[in-house]
Amino acid sequence: MTSNTTVLTDRFATATGRAIAAGVVLVLCVAALMFVSTDLVQELFGYSQNIKAREPTFFIRISLLIGAIAAAFFLITSLSYYKRNKVAIAPWMFLSIGLVFFMIYVIVPIFQSISYSFTRWNGLYDINGIWTGEWVGLHNYKLLLNDPNFYTSLWNNLLWLLLFMLAVPIGLFIALFLNQTVRGIRIYKSLFFFPFVISQVVVGLIFTWAYNPEFGLLSEIWSWFFCETKTNIMGNLTRVCSPEPPSILGDETMATYGIIAAGLWPQIAYCMILYLTGLNNISSDQIEAGRLDGAKGWKMLRHVVLPQLKPATFIAIVVTVIGALRSFDMIATMTQGGPYGSSNVLAYYMYDQAVGEGVGRYGYGSAIATVLFLIMLVYISYFLWRMYQDEMEAR
Amino acid sequence: MFPSPIEKSSVGLRLAYKVLLPVALFLWLLPLLAIFMTSIRPASDIATGNVFGIPSSFQLLQNYGEVFAKTDALQYLLNTLMIAVPTTIISVALACLTGYALAIYKFKWALPLFFLFVAGNFVPFQILMLPVVDMSNRLEIINTVPGLVMFHAAFQTGFCTLFMRNFIKALPFELIESARLEGVDEFKIFWHLVLPLVKPAVAALCVLIFTFIWNDFFWASVLIRDDSNLPITVGVRTLNGEFVQQWHLVSAASLLAAVPPVLMFFAMQKHFIAGLTLGATKG
Repeated sequence: MTSNTTVLTDRFATATGRAIAAGVVLVLCVAALMFVSTDLVQELFGYSQNIKAREPTFFIRISLLIGAIAAAFFLITSLSYYKRNKVAIAPWMFLSIGLVFFMIYVIVPIFQSISYSFTRWNGLYDINGIWTGEWVGLHNYKLLLNDPNFYTSLWNNLLWLLLFMLAVPIGLFIALFLNQTVRGIRIYKSLFFFPFVISQVVVGLIFTWAYNPEFGLLSEIWSWFFCETKTNIMGNLTRVCSPEPPSILGDETMATYGIIAAGLWPQIAYCMILYLTGLNNISSDQIEAGRLDGAKGWKMLRHVVLPQLKPATFIAIVVTVIGALRSFDMIATMTQGGPYGSSNVLAYYMYDQAVGEGVGRYGYGSAIATVLFLIMLVYISYFLWRMYQDEMEAR
Repeated sequence: MFPSPIEKSSVGLRLAYKVLLPVALFLWLLPLLAIFMTSIRPASDIATGNVFGIPSSFQLLQNYGEVFAKTDALQYLLNTLMIAVPTTIISVALACLTGYALAIYKFKWALPLFFLFVAGNFVPFQILMLPVVDMSNRLEIINTVPGLVMFHAAFQTGFCTLFMRNFIKALPFELIESARLEGVDEFKIFWHLVLPLVKPAVAALCVLIFTFIWNDFFWASVLIRDDSNLPITVGVRTLNGEFVQQWHLVSAASLLAAVPPVLMFFAMQKHFIAGLTLGATKG
């Protein structure tokens, strides 16, 4: 009896001891967090410039934060309340770090951006750290309605959306072409997928060069049909073409199409791989059954294969829409929105207005971003709705 | 299998397929091949108009060496590595936790919070840009590699959670149920039971996130201005501006930027593809 009580009190003592220790560490970490600043770190470590103290300060802060979180977890798990309600509390502990992190960097900024769009602001604070913007209501949106560049960007976004969709059928076509079992087909499949792995900046540079009217790939192909090489009066060989090869990225009417074509290259590869995996999982029974019923070619594709590829098609459409609306890297590398803003899209126009050359127009930029967000929201809602249906079915 | 297996068709068709395959691949990768050829020829070739013929001399090592010698390409590559590796580790680790919480526990917030992660993952970058810049400014981490890592890690946590939650949801729930009945602590279930089972998902996510971050251009150009902290994607764009008319160097630098993700892809192909299909199609 006595030994039993000692064990109990011992246990109680270590549990409380742990809780108290964790509590002390938690308080210390939080206090230190409030105390640490770049000025302090600069002074302590003797950095010559404040900027150089930034990274060390960041690491000190992060370590303190991790310490505080760990201490908090220890504290919570040693409470008897936790032990009685494990299954209710545990998920929140698992979620907490990721959720808070995601909230701070992704969810809250959405609403901040929307609120910026009702202000005029250049991103600066005055010397006392007070916001220098002013509230202007719907002014930015009124400006948008009268901005021809906005309409060009919107129209180009629409073009991107429509033409980018070509990636889905072309991807399916290539996937069908490659869905064979000959020797070395795996290597062919991976090489076809190649363009997707490369950064969009590099794809952009490759195509900028390919489109170059003087020495690009396209001008070379052009010269097979329209050019002849002559010796000029200086005795050098020159190329004479009629008509001259087009300068795709330098032409207002063609620039956007040129960039979209470049963007399609990796996107087709992505859709192709989605369909290849989809084709892998098709039930051979149904194909055989279809064959017995005399279906082949197009009919088989339409009535037997495509219904089974539905999940792949869905993902392909989702990623293509997102890719189309996110198009930024290509435009930044290939034309910077030019010539004369003709290849702008909302994503790039927003960037240009907010942090481009000259004064930052944070309010106006945010209004453009909000419009883009609302367009995307249509697709996001659709995607979530589909996911919700799947979840309900799975139950 | 659809379309019908080619080995069952006539000899002519089989032969045509075998010929068509390399031709199609050649056309498909033509831009890449052409730029590779440019990257190994001397500058004089381009000036004299020999852009597509046989290079007058092969300068693979000279050109790529020149990129490293004349530019900060090595620094850029290192910076990218310093951004991509920590981001991958943090976001995948956090997603193991969140994905586990959202898949295993049946509480009324599970589905709404899951949808929050999914929705946030799909928003256009521009709607986040200015507040993130403002926040990084005030936290004094703008223009630093850790500052960029923080954002990337937070954002990628959304995608990783989507993937991880679906993966864990497909695991047999009875395993966890019986462990709970035995009185195993929730954290021990996670650590000893679930974590070993999600290794394939972790591998897929690591490969994918590493490639995503390696190829990121937008966030690096927004959050980093200092030349010494730039990643390779932004660096290559800057080189493009500096090396006007030096296409052999620009193309060599571009291809260098593409090498690590390509190697990653070929080394971990299965995981890479599993990740790309968002777990929608298994296989």
